Parts: sequence; C-alpha cells; structure tokens
Amino acid sequence: MLFLQLLLQGVQTGALYALTAAGFALIFGATRIFHFAHGTSFTLAGYVFLFAWNGGLPWWAGSLAGILVAVLFGLAMERLVYRPIQRHEGSFFTVFVAAFGVAVVVQNLVGMVAGRGFASVDTPLSRADEVLPDVFLAPIFWIAVGVAVALFAALSTFLTRTHAGVALRALAQNPDLLRAYGLSSNRLSMLAFALGSAMAAPAAVLTAMTSGLNEAVGHHVMLISMAATIVGGVGSLRGAALAGLMLGVAESVALQFVDTQWAEGVSFLVLFAFIIFRPSGIFGVAQAR
Amino acid sequence: MTGPQIARRALLGTALAAPFVRPSFAQGSDPYVIGTLFPMSGPNGEYGKLFTDGAALAIEHARADNMLRRPMRIQAEDTQALPQQGVIGMTKLVNVDKAHYVLVGFTSVSKAVAPVADRAKTVTVNGGAVGPDLSGLSPYFWNVIPLAHLETQAFLPFLMRRNLKRIALVYVDDPLGDAILGLLRTELPKAGGELVGTFSIPRTAQQFGPIAARVRQSRPDAVYIASFGAQQAQIIKGLRDNGIRQPLVGYSALSIASVTALPEAEGVIFTSQKFDYTGGSEVTRRFATDFKARHGADPGTYNANYYNATRLFALLARELERENAPVNGDTLRATLLRVREFDLVGGKGRFDDQGNMSADIQVNEIRGGRVVPIG
Repeated sequence: MLFLQLLLQGVQTGALYALTAAGFALIFGATRIFHFAHGTSFTLAGYVFLFAWNGGLPWWAGSLAGILVAVLFGLAMERLVYRPIQRHEGSFFTVFVAAFGVAVVVQNLVGMVAGRGFASVDTPLSRADEVLPDVFLAPIFWIAVGVAVALFAALSTFLTRTHAGVALRALAQNPDLLRAYGLSSNRLSMLAFALGSAMAAPAAVLTAMTSGLNEAVGHHVMLISMAATIVGGVGSLRGAALAGLMLGVAESVALQFVDTQWAEGVSFLVLFAFIIFRPSGIFGVAQAR
Repeated sequence: MTGPQIARRALLGTALAAPFVRPSFAQGSDPYVIGTLFPMSGPNGEYGKLFTDGAALAIEHARADNMLRRPMRIQAEDTQALPQQGVIGMTKLVNVDKAHYVLVGFTSVSKAVAPVADRAKTVTVNGGAVGPDLSGLSPYFWNVIPLAHLETQAFLPFLMRRNLKRIALVYVDDPLGDAILGLLRTELPKAGGELVGTFSIPRTAQQFGPIAARVRQSRPDAVYIASFGAQQAQIIKGLRDNGIRQPLVGYSALSIASVTALPEAEGVIFTSQKFDYTGGSEVTRRFATDFKARHGADPGTYNANYYNATRLFALLARELERENAPVNGDTLRATLLRVREFDLVGGKGRFDDQGNMSADIQVNEIRGGRVVPIG
C-alpha cells in the first residue's frame, strides 16, 4: 500500500511540475530565451491568489487574477528585459543574468509585501481521507490531475489547430522563414511568453493550497522546470510535461526504496541519467555534428 | 599671491581634509557597532525580523536610559541562514565595520562564524540556535538561549507523562537536525520512550506528502519536528493534510508567527524558555509593554533573546566605561566572567564559564493561533 500511496502523491506533485515545466518549455522552445524568471511568474501568481483568497474573493476570481499577473509579468520580461538585450547583444549569459537579477528583486519585493514566512490557503480540499487501508487521498488530487489534463488538451489543440499555434511552432523551427512569410516574430514571442506564464499560474494556485508558498518558492519551480525541459527534450512541450510528471512520481516513489533525504536528489539523478545516456531527452531529436 | 586667495585655498584645503580629520576628533562618540548575522531574506527571513526587533528595542532602551557614553548602532549582514554567507558577513563585520559585538542565529551559521570570532576576538552571541555543540565553541562565543539538550531534558518527561512514547523524528539535514537526532537516540530510551522512525529532509525540501506516508508506517505516538523557518510550517501542513493525526511536537523554533497562525498547527506542543511577561521583573515588564506598543503584538522567545543579547552588551560596556577600560572582546569576556549575573528579560541571567546562559524551560501548546504555556 505504501507504493500506491507514494505513486498517487507523485502523480499529484508531477501534475503541478508538468504544468510549470510545459510553460517554461513553450517559452524556451519557441523563443530560445532561457527565461529563468519563470519561477517568479509562479511566485507572483501564487501570492496574488493568496491575497485574493484572504480578501474574500471567490476562488475563480483569485485564479484569474493570478493568471493575469503571471501573464503581465511574462510580457513585461519579454518587452522590457529580453528584447532590449537581444537587440544589442543577446548572449545567453546576459539574458540569464538579467532574468536572475529580476527574480531576486521580485523575490525580495514579495518578501517585503507579503512577509518572509510561510503562507498557504486554508482549504478542506487539501485534507486527505483514507480511501483504502493506509492510502490517503485529498480532493485536490483530482483537481490537480484534471487541471493538468485539461490545460494540456487545450494547449495541444491551440498549437495544432489554430494559425497562431502553428505559427508559434514555426517560430521554434525557423524564425527567418517565418518572417519571410510576413509573420511577426515579436508578436509570436509575446504570445509564447503569455501562454507559458499562464501555464504556471494554475500550478501556483494549487501549490498555495497544498505545500504552501514562501517568497523563494520560485527557485525550486525553476529547477524542476529546467530539469523537465532537458529530460523531455529541449523544444518538446509534451516531453517537458511528461518529464515533469515523471520527476514528480520519481521523487515520491523513490521513498519506497531510499531514505527520505534522497527524495529531491532522485529528480536530479534522473536528469543526469538522461544527460549521459540520452542527451536529446525523451522526445528530442538527436543532432549529428 | 594676495591674502584673500591664500585664505580661500586654506579654507578649501581644510574642507577637503575634514573628512579624514574628523574621526580622530570623534572617536569618543563613535557608535558601538553591533553586527547582526541574521537571515533577512529567503525562506528563513522571518527570523531575521524577529531577531532584529528584539535587538533594536534593547538599543532604544539603552539610549533612553543613557546607559552608555557612546551610542550603539546595528550593522546588519544577511546570512540567509547559510554558513558561507555567515562567514562572508562575519569577515566584513570584524574587518571592515570593526564590530564590537556580533549577534548571530542558526546552528550551522553559528558554527561557521565562531572560528572567525575566535581569531578576531570579537564577542559573538547566539540567541536563536540550539545545537548542543554550540557550547564552548570559543571563549568569545556565548549563548543566551538554552541549547537543545536542555530543552529535550525538560521535554521528554512531559512526553512520557502524556504516554507519547513512540516518537518519529522528521529532521532537517544540518547540524541542528543531526544534534536533535543524536539527543533523541540517546535520551529517549533512557526516559522510557522509543525512536520508531527517523526521516531526514534536505533544507530545500518542500513536498511532505510522501514523507507523511513513511511517517504513518512507523506508527508513532507523536512526531517530533526538528527543522526551522518556513519549512516547519510546510512540514506541519504536509503531515496534517496527509493523514497524520498524532500530536506534533518540537522545540523553540516553532514559536514563529507563520507556524502559530497556521490552522494545521493547532495543538502543536513545543518547548521554549520560560518568560513571565506580566509578573516578572521590571526589565521583563518594560520589554513586554514597549514591544507590544511598538509592534502591536506580544513578544516571542526570539525577540526576548536578542533583546537580552544586546542588553548584555550594554550592561558589560557600561561596566567597562565606568572603569575607563577599552571595550573589546577580552574586556567584555573578563567582565562577563566577573559579574556572571545580569538583569535580563525573564529574570536574572546567569552565565557559566563557557558563556552559556541558564534558563528555565516551559512546555507550550499552540491554541487558537496563540502560544499557551502548559507545563
């Protein structure tokens, strides 16, 4: 029964990892910008939801506010930070340092405004009941899985069935050709940031209800997103989502076999294993040199 | 060259030289630098504010009472509760800021900075960390908080009386967690209890659902939490949300607002120093009254500890000023060992040869978001 319990908890955690990882992968895949401040979108969305909830707003209004703030932050980063850098030099390192700097500044601002302690949403949805002997499940398990599945279905439909979605995929493949067809890579880049940042918001809302928030929560999110993007195959949205799920399950199920100390380490063991044995990731395409 | 030109040049030269000349004049009124090595950001940033609030109030009281000829000022360095940041901060405090006295918290940070304090002969006082091996780190490293072994000694009989004999320990993988693991391993069997499971967690761990599953398997009577900061609240929520109904117990680090305000923390039992804010000494009552007036809330253990640590400096420096002796690590230590007993918050604070202050321990329970002494 312990294995089943760990598996279910891993699926719940993995669903949230998958959402944030897919958002990061969408942005990175389409724009090749290493958006280190993706974790900050997550943090902001979580705290906005928390404030809305504590202010008495209904959950859907808080969730929408969280999504809106995450999207606005993503767009602001694209327009005000990444684009000016790329206009001049655009090196990976400059982009990374700029994003890292913004993440640190926002983290401290969140700490100053919201306090530097732990914060969570008090809801019965996160309280588990015994559904089988020694197996506890909270209603939020179904919500997390349902939200993740619904959002992936919606995103996949958007990317495959709409002009904007196809153009977004084309941006990842060949931005020069895209411009030759008269499409604006700038607008598509903004779309990628908006969608990618929006994907982090539901995960942040659910995290506020389950494991809670602190101002530094974004770093962990970023690490997992990065690992999932590499494991899933750089540029592959479904790869990142699957890898996020896999990492969540791995760090939970591992406790059946190893000491609790190693739970987080397992995620990175998986990452190292992929880097060594399959550097292109689950769905990545190996490139000949 | 005319007279007015010379005068102008002399004036200009004097003005330019003034910043370099001033310190030699003003040496006598330069403030005493109280360095702080607290986490002011990151998941443990909540402690930094608690610690600083206590120290700041002590400085305000010392100023109001004209205790010292020279003012005191705080020079803050953010450690983020990380040892390497602590060493960087300590090095700056002793070499650049010439701190007279340093306040520190967290076991790992305290252990990291103690050798620097020893080399620089700068008195460094811990009011927040409880690792038992913090005792005797250096002649210049003192503790104004009872260390974990004292808390555990007082707590284990209480747990046995409540028939909470099978204890599972969830502990952070750092010197503090390791110290409490060692204590429970040796002391729990002596007290008649049993350590039925030990679950080590990294400082960065945020998911506690799977750990709750493992804890449940060990069938404990109570779960002892040995962590600190935001992670404690996450552990409590994670355990409660995932079916742990047994009492959750721990040590004084649980007395922070983000834990006590957590609905899932209702009924959590922990030890801390004993403070009687209403019926205690005049120093205690003044501290409690002024703290509440300033912050709109009752003070906590950490506010009081860092108030005491800062007040201790003021008391020692006052003695030295009376004797026209210099205020430095050696003279502060000599005065501490000579006087031994000081009027501090909570009553008379008595120090042993290693600079550890003894204090009574009380058992508390979180009820309705408040800390209520129960034993």
